Amino acid sequence: MTQRRKWTAIPGLLLLVIGAVVLSAYSGASSSQGNQPTQPINFPHPRHAGATKDGGLGMNCLYCHNTANKSQDVGMPAVNTCMGCHTIVAAQKPEIQKLAKYYADKRPVPWVRIHKVPEYVHFPHVRHVNAGVTCQTCHGQVQKMAQVYQYASLNMGWCVNCHVNGYDPKEGQKAAGYDNVPPAGYSGGAPYGTPGTRAGISLSSPGMGVVPDSARTTPPATVASNGGATPSVERRRARYDCAACHY
Amino acid sequence: MSNQTGSTGVKRRDFLKVLGASSAAVASTYYATTCRECAAGCGVIAETRDGRVTKLEGNPEHPLNRGALCARGQSAVQGLYNPDRLRGPMVKEGGVWKPIDWDRALTLLSQRIGEARSRGSAANAVFINQHETGSFPSFLDAWLAGFGMRPHLSVDFEADSAAVEANRAAYGTSWPRLSFQDARLIVSFGADFLDGWGMSVPQQLDFADARAKIEGAPRFVYVGPRRSLTGLNADQWIACRPGSEVAIANALAGRGTLADAATASGVSEATLARLQQELTTAKPALVLAGARGPDALALAQAVVAINQSAGAVGTTIRNAEPMTAFDGAVRVADVLATVEQMRSGAVPIAFVRGANPAFSLPAGARFADAFAKVPFKVSFSMYPDETTELCDLILPDQHSLESWGDAQATPNVISTQQPAMDPVFSGTRATADVLIQVALKDPANAARYPQRDYRSWLISRFAGGMSAFTAAVAKGVSAGSTAPRTTPTVAAVAPAQAAPSLDTSHGDFYLVTYLSPVLGDGRGANKPWLQELPDPVSKVLWSSWVEIHPQTAARLGIERGDIVEVTTQSGKVRAPAYLYLGVRPDTLAVAIGQGHASATRLDAFEPKHTDRNTIQWGYGRYARGIGARTQDLLAPRTDLAGGLALVSTKATLAKTGDHETLVSTEGSARQHGRGIAQALTLTQLAGLQQSRGAENANALAPQGSANQESGGGGSQGEGAGGKAEGARGEHHEEIPGEPSGQFLPGLRSPVAADAQGDLGSPTAEDRGKEKGMYAPNHWSGMANRRWAMTIDLARCTGCSACVTACYAENNIPTVGASWQNATVFAVSKPGFNITRGREMNWLRIERYFEGAESEQFTEDFEARFTPMLCQHCGNAPCEPVCPVYATYHAPDGLNVQVYNRCVGTRYCSNNCPYKVRYFNWFGYGEEDRKQYAFPEPLHWQLNPDVTVRTKGVMEKCTFCVQRIREAETRAKTEGRELVANEFTTACAQACPSRAITFGDAADPKWAVTQAVEDRRAYHVFEELNTYTAVVYLKKVNHPGPASPARS
Repeated sequence: MTQRRKWTAIPGLLLLVIGAVVLSAYSGASSSQGNQPTQPINFPHPRHAGATKDGGLGMNCLYCHNTANKSQDVGMPAVNTCMGCHTIVAAQKPEIQKLAKYYADKRPVPWVRIHKVPEYVHFPHVRHVNAGVTCQTCHGQVQKMAQVYQYASLNMGWCVNCHVNGYDPKEGQKAAGYDNVPPAGYSGGAPYGTPGTRAGISLSSPGMGVVPDSARTTPPATVASNGGATPSVERRRARYDCAACHY
Repeated sequence: MSNQTGSTGVKRRDFLKVLGASSAAVASTYYATTCRECAAGCGVIAETRDGRVTKLEGNPEHPLNRGALCARGQSAVQGLYNPDRLRGPMVKEGGVWKPIDWDRALTLLSQRIGEARSRGSAANAVFINQHETGSFPSFLDAWLAGFGMRPHLSVDFEADSAAVEANRAAYGTSWPRLSFQDARLIVSFGADFLDGWGMSVPQQLDFADARAKIEGAPRFVYVGPRRSLTGLNADQWIACRPGSEVAIANALAGRGTLADAATASGVSEATLARLQQELTTAKPALVLAGARGPDALALAQAVVAINQSAGAVGTTIRNAEPMTAFDGAVRVADVLATVEQMRSGAVPIAFVRGANPAFSLPAGARFADAFAKVPFKVSFSMYPDETTELCDLILPDQHSLESWGDAQATPNVISTQQPAMDPVFSGTRATADVLIQVALKDPANAARYPQRDYRSWLISRFAGGMSAFTAAVAKGVSAGSTAPRTTPTVAAVAPAQAAPSLDTSHGDFYLVTYLSPVLGDGRGANKPWLQELPDPVSKVLWSSWVEIHPQTAARLGIERGDIVEVTTQSGKVRAPAYLYLGVRPDTLAVAIGQGHASATRLDAFEPKHTDRNTIQWGYGRYARGIGARTQDLLAPRTDLAGGLALVSTKATLAKTGDHETLVSTEGSARQHGRGIAQALTLTQLAGLQQSRGAENANALAPQGSANQESGGGGSQGEGAGGKAEGARGEHHEEIPGEPSGQFLPGLRSPVAADAQGDLGSPTAEDRGKEKGMYAPNHWSGMANRRWAMTIDLARCTGCSACVTACYAENNIPTVGASWQNATVFAVSKPGFNITRGREMNWLRIERYFEGAESEQFTEDFEARFTPMLCQHCGNAPCEPVCPVYATYHAPDGLNVQVYNRCVGTRYCSNNCPYKVRYFNWFGYGEEDRKQYAFPEPLHWQLNPDVTVRTKGVMEKCTFCVQRIREAETRAKTEGRELVANEFTTACAQACPSRAITFGDAADPKWAVTQAVEDRRAYHVFEELNTYTAVVYLKKVNHPGPASPARS
């Protein structure tokens, strides 16, 4: 009897193991990280947002994605925004002619969406951008991507990593990948929750999104260096309650 | 970030966004405009996202609705996005509808008008327009005159012509402002001023304010054979025989004896004597006449006499502040006369816009036959309704949210109407523009229209021109008046005619038909929100029903849900029986509004196989085949003022032997001692005030002790941190078990303040554990807020506007359409899902009856309305039973449902004592399923801030968490703290009774903090120790001198 029971248990256990592996593989790796679809127009981010020394124009992200610091959704720029320059600039290039066609047809460019948080999650861009999180922290160094791909996993673990441990403005700056250093004394602004940290846009800080007003007034951090890692007091904190994002 | 907000393919609206000069295209844009769902013309603010209207809210600047909006008004957006809207002009050729382009359509129309003119018969052409105020009626008359046609018929089947006529004669205005606040006594003779009689929203606002005065509040007596929603809000019901209201009114006016009135009405003479006594003592009174019998005018005139003696004129009846909603409306009698003219073959062309006479007129008027005699019939309807189906040419109008216009809100205020978005269907054109285009084709008329469109025409007539117009449109209201109709529309009524009375020759039962408070005269039936909105009285939805008193039903062996047949001389109606306490035993009551049908046979709607270009005749997929057409029972009788007599005949009742489960959201009509809806009489309330500090013995459930109330008020300023400490200090060792009566109305309960801290972990070492964001001193400050709500039952009338607001705000699917149930064992029956308890109303209105326990008829019972929604318990029963932690308590007091985590065990719903959790049985939010609740373009309405839930997920009221987060984000972006009362939930915003207050109960600056301190405050099921965040304020009854008090 015992012998028989043992033999029946083994395939059952095996099945369980296989099931668990399949399940975990399915759930854990559901991110589309690295996704790099072909877009209807091959928009060269490096040409627009790249640093001037790299041959870019050094445009601020917010010039085109202008609701990033105002709204939940960033939104894509209107064709009108593009045509503001491109009725004249580089109007003969084939990609621009594609753009002009959309403009003439009064149709938006059907961009292929890359970055999308899972369903049932609300990600307010306005909060993050105004808190001084650089765009590149989540989106990667788009200003150097010839073709944009999904940089971060956008999984919950990735979100929570910042929300529990805090966001390090210095790391964010590093992630932004610009050689020009942040303004003197920039520490990513005052800590979360401090009144009066109204954010403003500085169009002179290419590709960096928003630099809070307080950046220029905050005295330099006096905390002793501890080997590069930011002291926890300087890390920007964020709410990690479920209902901050899930509703 | 929600998953179903985009439409497939690229549309013009998307391009609007793309081209938009506005920098914040993704954020909301608001347009002030005017609601055209009924004649009142309330101001609305249309919220748009990416160029699409997502929600309608009342315009706070508007003199009529002051920010509130009824369910019908809010549902206008489902009229705008109705999937069955007519998408382009069509012509009937050989009995088949064919699309036609606008040029050809207008040429055809011009040609037909030209033919009529050359034959000299143009003067007999008929234009039937849904009644509206503003410039359009005079514009239309001028246009018609230009072609030699007579003025149009401005038809409102909901208007009470008798009241209008009596008002004109007595006060010189069609509708004086009614001031409920100034009244000491309100007596309504069948005037359902909360159901749609007159102008619902302004009346309800004022009535609720009057009742909220508590001590000085007017007592309200309702006289009529059936207790409508208005009647259920009355303190006393005098159940007179149908048609006998006039006898009572005359007796009260001193034109007859009470004894005669008592005999005629079946009401005891003592009751009438008390009412007469009250009318002499409680001055000023407000007496209203609204019963719609053949003698309606005599009743209205008698009531005018009562008002004059009761000191009402000038105080409660503000004849110096006239309202304009019914100015220019024609009488149904005129429409009936026109129908006869059509039958004689004299009418060469008929135009119909907005109105639907083929449905609304009684079957006895035989409209379809007469209409068929008209050689050329043009419909400007947006929907494939019954009248449009009979026409020859369809020139689909644009919705009021897509077109220009104006309304006369009051004599001195213009309410402007502007497009809040581009047309949903590019094939539609605003009728006013079409008329101008037709005029421009005619050389004689072209010169009269130098403006090429209606907007320019409006501006050219607007005082102050373009700049003033632009300024007015931005606000939605502007001082001034539009051009009145110059044509006399109402002929005076011969006053000395003998009042006709009820035809009692055939049948055993009186028949009361009434306009549905939800669907109106049937206009609302194609909007799924309104179909899914339970009737405030019967709680029946997606269906018709016949109201029968239980006593009669017992006598005839009829049970709830038995299919009965009501027969009159005009026709018959089959519908399930609903046993209702509030109807006389000798009376049957049936609502008007359902029963839309197609003249031709159509296959049942099948969402999977429907080509979206198929026209859904019979007023669209959501209306067709639902319930029975009550107008079939009516003879085309009118009262002397020309209004349609809705109560004009007797009927027979027969059992058919069939039975069906009544589609209803009513669980039990009784409270069974549970104390859900509590009430006090004024005397009890006075006692409560005196005995502050003592337990209130009168209340059904234990009331928070008054000591605590007053003590708590002082400590509030410390904020929640201090509060939580204080509460814990006081109740340190107390683990909740028995209701101690020590807590304030829940909001400072130790459990709520502690959330998942000390009290959840009884051992000493656990108490020191890291409480994270639940700690009051946590940097996020989340635990310093306690979102809470109070609902004042003294104000709530049960109108259900909040329910629709919740549907609109939270993307709640409607589930009652016949194709929305199971795929495998599908039951094709409207409302089937609801009979299985699958409705999704996050916020519902419970209606309970008190008194009248036996089947025996009695007038003496009370109705209590209780909005029931997630109570956001501090100690929530749903939370510990969730095996996957999908529901949990947020530090700011919200009971949160995390949809990603939910696996659909439904344990939470089983454990919820309030039954406010709803499960997504089918894929209502998934486009590829037949149960999809938002077929294009209905899904354009979806709120992008709220997730569209998918199959297998539990959901419930979130306290509009998206609004909380949005406000927090806005405050944060602006570098400030939240300002008290800076936002509110959708239900509180819409409420035309202002019964709901929402806010942060931990911050004394919010209005809700004061409201929870009210001595009438209580929690539902306080004995369960749930520590709810929803606090109800007890209803206050005003029993008459000799009526028994009930609490």
